[in-house]
Amino acid sequence: MVSIARKNLFHDKIRFAVALAGISFAVVLITVQLGVYLAFRSNVSVLIDHTEADIWITAHGLENFDFGRPFSEKKRYEVAEVPGVAWAEKYFLGFGYWKTPGGSQETVQMVGFDPETMVGAPWSIVKGNPQDVKYFNSIFYDEAETNRLGNLPIGSETEINNHRVRVAGIVSGARSFIQSPYIFTSFKNALNLSFINKGNTVYVLVKVAPGYSVKDVQRRIRETVKDVDVYTSPDFSKKTQDYWMINTGTGVALLAVALMGVVIGTVIVANTIYTSTTEHLKEFGTLKAIGASNWDLYVIIIEQALINSVIGFAVGMAISYLVIQAMKKGHLPVLLAPPVLVGIFVLTVLMCLWSSVLSISKVTRIDPAMVFKS
Amino acid sequence: MTSIATKTVLRLAHVSKTYGEGESSVEAVHDVSMDLDAGKFIFLMGPSGSGKTTLLMLMGCLLRPTTGSVHIFDEAVSSLAESSLPRVRRSRIGYIFQGFNLFPALTALENVEATLNLKGCRGAEGRAEARNLLERVGLAKRMHHLPEDLSGGEKQRVAVARALAGNPPIILADEPTGMLDSKTGRLISEILRDLAHEEGRLVFMVSHDSRITALADQIFNIEDGCLQDGSRQ
Ligand SMILES: Nc1ncnc2c1ncn2[C@@H]1O[C@H](COP(=O)(O)OP(=O)(O)OP(=O)(O)O)[C@@H](O)[C@H]1O
Ligand SMILES: [Mg+2]
Repeated sequence: MVSIARKNLFHDKIRFAVALAGISFAVVLITVQLGVYLAFRSNVSVLIDHTEADIWITAHGLENFDFGRPFSEKKRYEVAEVPGVAWAEKYFLGFGYWKTPGGSQETVQMVGFDPETMVGAPWSIVKGNPQDVKYFNSIFYDEAETNRLGNLPIGSETEINNHRVRVAGIVSGARSFIQSPYIFTSFKNALNLSFINKGNTVYVLVKVAPGYSVKDVQRRIRETVKDVDVYTSPDFSKKTQDYWMINTGTGVALLAVALMGVVIGTVIVANTIYTSTTEHLKEFGTLKAIGASNWDLYVIIIEQALINSVIGFAVGMAISYLVIQAMKKGHLPVLLAPPVLVGIFVLTVLMCLWSSVLSISKVTRIDPAMVFKS
Repeated sequence: MTSIATKTVLRLAHVSKTYGEGESSVEAVHDVSMDLDAGKFIFLMGPSGSGKTTLLMLMGCLLRPTTGSVHIFDEAVSSLAESSLPRVRRSRIGYIFQGFNLFPALTALENVEATLNLKGCRGAEGRAEARNLLERVGLAKRMHHLPEDLSGGEKQRVAVARALAGNPPIILADEPTGMLDSKTGRLISEILRDLAHEEGRLVFMVSHDSRITALADQIFNIEDGCLQDGSRQ
């Protein structure tokens, strides 16, 4: 088979290059923005997702994980009484002011867990023993926050809320991109360092006993324990992600740029394909005169669109890969699972097909008699 | 009216074609009837604007007559649905244009092969047939060149080979020698004549060129859309 579509594409090399540049540009924008969006989205709930609790109990009316409010620790005992609750643990989260060696202040979020049970403890330790948080005002921070917190090595001291703290270790994977840096310590230390009164907790984490359904236990806690909100972990995670991505506009901004990529890509590709069709109008007319049906012509145009999208996608992905590597060196996160890449490919194909619509309507209207006019 | 003889390939009965409507309408072809036989090399001559191209398009199912009918063999093609016309064009007719109308991105061989593909002859068979056709028009040596690298005469040979793709019984040519020098024009005309005489096709050709009329079996003259009595049989 002679592919008129392919021959025409490779014949107009400059136009082909322009179309590919447009598609690749769109693919890079979409891939990188979507990758950053997905990374940010999964990052904002990273602490929830790494905690083994099935249910999160919060003060009533909370907007998201990072804005926790204290409530009486006594609720924990009420929760523990509910049938189907394997354990109920307290968990602290609160803001603090971190003093850097340079003298400036950095807002941090103190995470307090119980070192006896280690529920809510950091999950990836670079240096130190997380049990050490039980010692007076010993803290851990994430290696990626080192610069932000002033390059304090293990054993060095600084202040949170004007209380002395000592760096006991370094963790990884708990870097926060949108929120303030997380500082890990014991529940007791965190409460002492904070402005929150004794006898309170910020969260109660619940593990559901084997044989019980999470939904049932959630419903029972709701019925029994008053003035709190009860979320399953996935729901709380999603609520937090939605807050940071949608309510704050961060995710919307990232996705808007990706959408812009789609629009720009479509315009460039539609324009090049349409110009190409216009310039090959006489050939399409000749094809009709010698017996091609409209469908034969559509096949040519669609084949052009597909060739454009496959090569444009490949080039765009290669460039995205380089961009993402560079971003990762700058500690900017990108998260792209294979299904997302497949989605981007499908989007690229749709973009190219959509770009062909004008051309298709143009060749439909060609009168083959035109080829006899010189 | 006589019945269509077995030799008659193309028959026009009282065909008229009017472009446009009302005051600005132009009757380009007026009440033309002709029976055209297989194996004949036929010329259509006439001044500019006399309706030659219009008549050719009516024969080739590119235009519908305003009145009258066109038959190819015994099929009334002028009353076929629009969707059936591509089939008729593919199977019955080969076109040759004054301006060659080759596909510029395709080599000579590919131009013919793509046309064969369109007509259902694909793969190795299509390629072999394309070579055959180019050999038949004397272009074996230049078949891998793009049209832009071919001379006018060579381009028109490719166009003739392409018109032969799918082995159509009718070849319609609109001033195929119009853009060629007289020697090359004569060579092309001789090829077309052979297609009629040796292969039994109906070759119907519009020409302005009085130097090659001697090759024709039959000449029609047209003026203001009307066939003239002086047409040579
Ligand atoms: N699409 C059209 N709409 C209106 N009038 C047309 C159209 N095509 C042709 N005509 C008119 O019909 C008449 C016949 O045109 P046609 O092209 O058939 O002539 P021709 O004999 O082929 O001329 P030439 O030798 O210049 O090619 C002319 O008056 C022309 O202006
Ligand atoms: Mg003409």
